[in-house]
Amino acid sequence: MIGLSDYLIVAAALFSLGVIGLFLNRKNVITILMCIELMLLAVNINFVAFSHYLNDLSGQIFVFFVLTVAACEVAVGLAILVSFYRLRRSIDIEDINTLQG
Amino acid sequence: MANVTFPFPFPDHLITLMPEMIVAIMAMFLLLFDVFVAKGSKTTAYLAIATTVAAGVATWSLQGPDPLVAFYGFFVFDSFAVFSKFLIYVATALGMILSLEYMKNEKHIGEYYVLMLFAMLGMMLMVSSNNFVTMYLGLELMALCVYVLVAYQREVLRANEAALKYFILGALSSGMLLYGITFLYGVTGSFDFAVMGEKLAHAEGDATAAVMLGMVFLIAGLGFKVSMAPFHMWTPDAYEGAPTPVTAFMSVAPKVAGFVIFMRIVADLLPALQHEYQSILIGVAVLTIAVGNLAAIAQRNIKRMLAYSTVGHVGFIMMGLIAGSPAGFSGILVYLSIYLVMTMGVFAVIILMRREGIQGELLDDFAGLSKVRPGYALAMGLFMFSMAGIPFLGGFWAKYVVFMAAVEAGHLYLVLYALLFSAVGAFYYLRVVKYIYFDEERVAFNFIESRPMQATVFVTAVTIVFLGLFPDALFELCRQALVGLV
Repeated sequence: MIGLSDYLIVAAALFSLGVIGLFLNRKNVITILMCIELMLLAVNINFVAFSHYLNDLSGQIFVFFVLTVAACEVAVGLAILVSFYRLRRSIDIEDINTLQG
Repeated sequence: MANVTFPFPFPDHLITLMPEMIVAIMAMFLLLFDVFVAKGSKTTAYLAIATTVAAGVATWSLQGPDPLVAFYGFFVFDSFAVFSKFLIYVATALGMILSLEYMKNEKHIGEYYVLMLFAMLGMMLMVSSNNFVTMYLGLELMALCVYVLVAYQREVLRANEAALKYFILGALSSGMLLYGITFLYGVTGSFDFAVMGEKLAHAEGDATAAVMLGMVFLIAGLGFKVSMAPFHMWTPDAYEGAPTPVTAFMSVAPKVAGFVIFMRIVADLLPALQHEYQSILIGVAVLTIAVGNLAAIAQRNIKRMLAYSTVGHVGFIMMGLIAGSPAGFSGILVYLSIYLVMTMGVFAVIILMRREGIQGELLDDFAGLSKVRPGYALAMGLFMFSMAGIPFLGGFWAKYVVFMAAVEAGHLYLVLYALLFSAVGAFYYLRVVKYIYFDEERVAFNFIESRPMQATVFVTAVTIVFLGLFPDALFELCRQALVGLV
């Protein structure tokens, strides 16, 4: 039988992978977008697991909002990334270095 | 399923959302309208400013002694929300006025004002939210618009880079915020602040660990949005890279919305965990005050310096949260109001410094200003003195009320620490005054003349002096805004 804690552990693992990937990744901004998506999906697993366990629908409704906002977020992020690429001709993390101090 | 009642609660509940509806409809209308106006026309901008005024009038006409509730408690309209909405309207309107001159050479300027209106709409929803669903949607509507506003000058590399950094860290913070919310939801089975607060008071056993985890992630996620250290890394880059009017807007309005929602959460959701959240906030405040005030000293770019100064101010504002008393909360509102006026004034002067071939953002660009433009120099001096907290200007009273509230709540050492760093902060504020009054002119001054900008500088400077001499009315207003919350 798969219990609540199993779902929470999977979600925690996914969330940590997302956060770690975001900080350790030194190569590519697209990977960062994927890490952000991973974090939000871990959040969704948590919501659905809790919602099922509590027998309360509002958690699952929140998941729809999170999914929608995540899609918008990626659209905005990719748009900024494209505009950055046009000027810099690169999306490497090392090249995001004009602003310092 | 719970019994769903029809007909849909219209119109007496929807009337509560009148200001939001005005802003949403006008923003969408302006998006279409802008296609038909001639290039370089400022009609869209003026209509956008008029929309903030209309929203203000609608909010004013709706307010009454009793809080209004819409959508089964998802949306509240109490005196606290009214006060914070007015701060947001003023910040947005001033942000738009500052943009008139700065952004006039941009090719597609209509969408800029529409994005500002949508960001304002997000903040309005946020301060009226009584529920994590509404709060999250408002927060994201605001954040997504501000990311785009930062990157609005597409041909400027540093603006794009700032937006990219801001976006990545902002998305990370939203993820952390949501992760925190999941645990609080898991313990309580609700998203409503008051219901959750009730249930959190009775959490025990395994649930306490989940509550702590949820609370830490929640504070971290919100801390990012109001740039508390150690989550402030995006602030200097985003401030420097963004167009200056956007910097002015984003250094005030999202901070207001963020602190308002912080206060609602502290008052409704976490009263049972006062000891725990206070110890977290004290640690964060100690770090925030130190980082903000020390890092600002090293900056040569005034926008970057003001970014760190914002971090320092956020640390001071947090003292009101730590006090957790009605005096502390009204102190936060006083601080935010005065901070709004000072910041808008400073950025208006900075925008006026931009001239042929010079951004006017380096401290060196201010050298000798007093000999050419004594008016600007005096205003900038007043703002700097006020930010440093020199007595009998607005900024002094802002610090005074939050520090007194913290002392009354028994945090004397924290206040002494904050006072120490407030003195350190005075150093870099007064350094600007030194550049203006005691240094020789290094670059020729060749100012743009812009009546709206000069009017903004004048009005904000007069307001700061006025609030410094007669702060009682503002104190009373902020006290009354809190009726019903604490």
